[in-house]
Amino acid sequence: MRLPEEELLAPGHRACQGCGEILAIRLILKTLGRRVIVVQPTGCMEVVTTPYPQTSWRVPWIHAAFENAAAVASGVEAALKRLGREGIKVVAIGGDGGTADIGLQALSGMMERGHDILYVCTDNEAYMNCLDPSSLVLTEEGLKKVSEVRVGELLYSFDLQRRTLVARRCSGVFFNGVHDIYEVVTPHHLIRATPNHPFLTLERGGRNRLVWKTLSQLRVGDGVVVLRRIPYGDSYLFGFKQPWAGDPQAAHPGPLRIPERSSPELMKLLGIWLGEGWVRPKKGEVGFALPEGKRGRRELIRLSQKVLGTTPTGEEDYLYLRSHPLARFICSLGLGMRPENKTIPGWVFTLTLREKKALLEGLMLTDGYSRGGSQRFVSTSYELLRRLRLFLQSLGYGVGEIHWMERKGEGRGFRSEGLGHVSFRKKRTPDHTHYPYVNCLEGNEFFEVERIIELRYVGRNQTVDLRVEKDHNFIADGMVVHNTGIQRSGTTPALAWTSTTPVGRIWRGEDKPKKDMPAIALAHHIPYVATASVGYPMDLVGKVKKAAEVKGPSYLHVHCPCPPGWGYDSSLTIRIARLAVETGCWILYEAERGRIRITLKPEKRKPVREYLMIQRRFSHLTEEEVERIQREVDARCKELGLE
Amino acid sequence: MAAKLARVQVVSAYPITPQTPVVENLARYVANGELEAEFVKVESEHSAMSVCLGASATGARTFTATSSQGLMLMSEILYVVSGMRLPVVMANANRSLSAPLSIWNDQQDSLAVRDCGWIQLYCENNQEILDLLLLSFRLAESLSIPAMVCYDGYILSHTSEAVEVPPQEEVDAFLPPYSPDLKLDPDRPLTMGPVGVPEVYMEARYMQHRALMEAKDGFLKVAEEFGRRFGRKYGILEEYRTEGAEVLLLTMGSLAGTAKEAVDICRDRGERVGLVKLLLYRPFPWEELVRALSGAKAVAVLEKDISTGWMGALYIDTAASFVNQARKPLFLNFIVGLGSRDVRVEDLEEVVRITKKVGEEGRVGENPRWLGVKREMVE
Repeated sequence: MRLPEEELLAPGHRACQGCGEILAIRLILKTLGRRVIVVQPTGCMEVVTTPYPQTSWRVPWIHAAFENAAAVASGVEAALKRLGREGIKVVAIGGDGGTADIGLQALSGMMERGHDILYVCTDNEAYMNCLDPSSLVLTEEGLKKVSEVRVGELLYSFDLQRRTLVARRCSGVFFNGVHDIYEVVTPHHLIRATPNHPFLTLERGGRNRLVWKTLSQLRVGDGVVVLRRIPYGDSYLFGFKQPWAGDPQAAHPGPLRIPERSSPELMKLLGIWLGEGWVRPKKGEVGFALPEGKRGRRELIRLSQKVLGTTPTGEEDYLYLRSHPLARFICSLGLGMRPENKTIPGWVFTLTLREKKALLEGLMLTDGYSRGGSQRFVSTSYELLRRLRLFLQSLGYGVGEIHWMERKGEGRGFRSEGLGHVSFRKKRTPDHTHYPYVNCLEGNEFFEVERIIELRYVGRNQTVDLRVEKDHNFIADGMVVHNTGIQRSGTTPALAWTSTTPVGRIWRGEDKPKKDMPAIALAHHIPYVATASVGYPMDLVGKVKKAAEVKGPSYLHVHCPCPPGWGYDSSLTIRIARLAVETGCWILYEAERGRIRITLKPEKRKPVREYLMIQRRFSHLTEEEVERIQREVDARCKELGLE
Repeated sequence: MAAKLARVQVVSAYPITPQTPVVENLARYVANGELEAEFVKVESEHSAMSVCLGASATGARTFTATSSQGLMLMSEILYVVSGMRLPVVMANANRSLSAPLSIWNDQQDSLAVRDCGWIQLYCENNQEILDLLLLSFRLAESLSIPAMVCYDGYILSHTSEAVEVPPQEEVDAFLPPYSPDLKLDPDRPLTMGPVGVPEVYMEARYMQHRALMEAKDGFLKVAEEFGRRFGRKYGILEEYRTEGAEVLLLTMGSLAGTAKEAVDICRDRGERVGLVKLLLYRPFPWEELVRALSGAKAVAVLEKDISTGWMGALYIDTAASFVNQARKPLFLNFIVGLGSRDVRVEDLEEVVRITKKVGEEGRVGENPRWLGVKREMVE
């Protein structure tokens, strides 16, 4: 059997590497050809293929809602019939949620009414979690809000095998709606995320293993992997247009030079500006509140002579640099304009160590103090403190929590006006009283383990999530977090971990067996029902062909492994799909007019352990539990005549 | 009947009282071969609207009918249909919402979905139902906006009235076959209903809103042609004996019939009373209402719904229309006829008396007033 070379699903969609579902869809479309109309419910496949104005579909395609694909398809089919358009096959392709859970009623109606529709369920055995949109993510271009990250950017990520810092491409950005948000607090870090968001943690009991745990599974005292520092970069090229020599607005009192790239002196000057400066772009005024006698005053005069080639004019309490281009330059740097929204822009994170240290020195010349062995910085900008905290962490400092006092608008944990400070100190060599176990990240250049000191509820907010190639993690607010989540559906198998069926002291993952959708379809006495697997493409193709030739409703249930959801390397999708069949966990059959015929009988059934143990979602299983699954699978195989 | 005249191609509905006569009749037409349509007997209203969505996207003229709880179950898909700019036409037999369960009439159901981006028309009598449905098909298809024709359950749905039925040829001339440019077609593949990323969502909603606001002019144009062809003229609103009126009643639907009688009685007594009946509720014709109502001293907004926790929906919208006007009458809100509580001509005479007094004294007092609530049961 040969398949046409023509691809009806265009490349460039945003599905994960190794996604079983998208592969199944590609094969189905190849088999069916161009004379189809595809209906899809809301779900992964709809989201990754059609972010307006792009689409991967080279055949007519429609999406309406989550639970009604079968009903929409019924409407399409009825219209085609009435309009006398023959030779067009209507195909509905739903995920397991849109098929077996919320979409079951519409599907039942479609099958009962006998519409000429092929319904395909691409089953990855769960639903798809997220961060607060203000979370700050480290990218090669510096620090960014998670909501500003775009597909294709390089994000810093934790290489799980080599345990080091690597840059990985972001392959998806998802805006996931309003959810409950919690804060995870360690001595030097703080992050906000939804309860189902996975974090990289050190297994309790001091075994040298790193495991993913969702926020809801985290407890105070757990060790989470955090960033120690990032590689030092290069000086930054501003690309700011120089004023022409004769610009009357350019300088007062004398000529002024705007630097082309960052330098330690400029960064120190900007540090002083962040602490005590203001800018009035319309007036062309850059000012500093540095009274005579204050530490920074002399230093600023020195720096502006050196960097800008001009001396600020002075009053008793203030220093001024009057220049329109300079004011525009300051505005262009993203440092914030008003005292309460001043911030450290993302590009600062890419600078050289000397430049970063110079910025810190400048800042500390303004509102910084030494207290005992540590230093403290005070500001009215919460955002500045938050980014300063990450900035200090990236320099290898140990930073305490932000102490913030609200002036008004207590609200629900989302800060407005107020005043706060952070304290920090140079980290000492590992202190084993602080974390009592010698762990596998000991001596790691970029990462270390910190103990959670608090977990608290913040409120409800919009959430965003990213997908990252290869290692499926990124660094948000200094912690290593996994990218996507996964929530149970009716077709989640027994004992599987999902973020809504977590493994804890009492729960052992999903407690109910997988819903038998093909049997439900069979109970409608439709002409053709089949199961298939993306691991056996030719079997799948044959069944699609048969189903398409049937006049009336047909149902095809395709088993599609999901790398992030099931927890395995994306290169193993086909192997895992095949193992499911080889162990009897997924049985390939077809039923023409209700008679079930096995289409693939494994020569000698492998033990289920082989299928289960290479997936993270089953990694918690005990011997007894594996035995239990083995017994259930044996019984099912016997029932279907596989033995 | 109207659906049959419009030669609808796909009908999908789920039975609910008091919409059932529509479904039964349509099923009979299809069964007899009087109407060549696909009748999709769905398992819920949610699927009924979804079938219409799919059929309309494939290029068929589609129709459904529902009521009350059925409309609520559909509401999710109502937004999808309007957002995808599909010209589905629906008849809604107005019925109360549960709880307590009531199969009787008021307009809470359709007013609850007033924000869903559909054109909404309200009928006074059975002739209007027929005419406005025919008109809706033309309007919806010319503007790519779905339309909902609302008529009072039982009061109109289960009442027989003599109706002038236009000949099929004339309807065909008024309503040509539906053939949209964009539809699901393997010869010209296109993607419908994609993900609206944050960069485009707001623009999509803005364009939808603008199109719906412009539908007012579209309605006037289609109604003008309808009048020329069939001799019955419809406007956005109907002004009944409003010349020189000090007191005006404003209402929608079958209550206008009772109100006209009350106005006649008052006029006979020499009182300067008139009625404004609103046909087109969405898009909301605020300019026309300002023009029609400005002359009165006091206006009584009579409506069979309540935005629970505030006032009637029609009152809120009307008051908002006047908020920036220099000259405005006093507005009273009367919540009437919920769950088919009878509204008699005498009750409306009382409304006129109260409104007149308010107009003279310049003080509104209690607002909204609930007409016909049994005080002994609630106190």
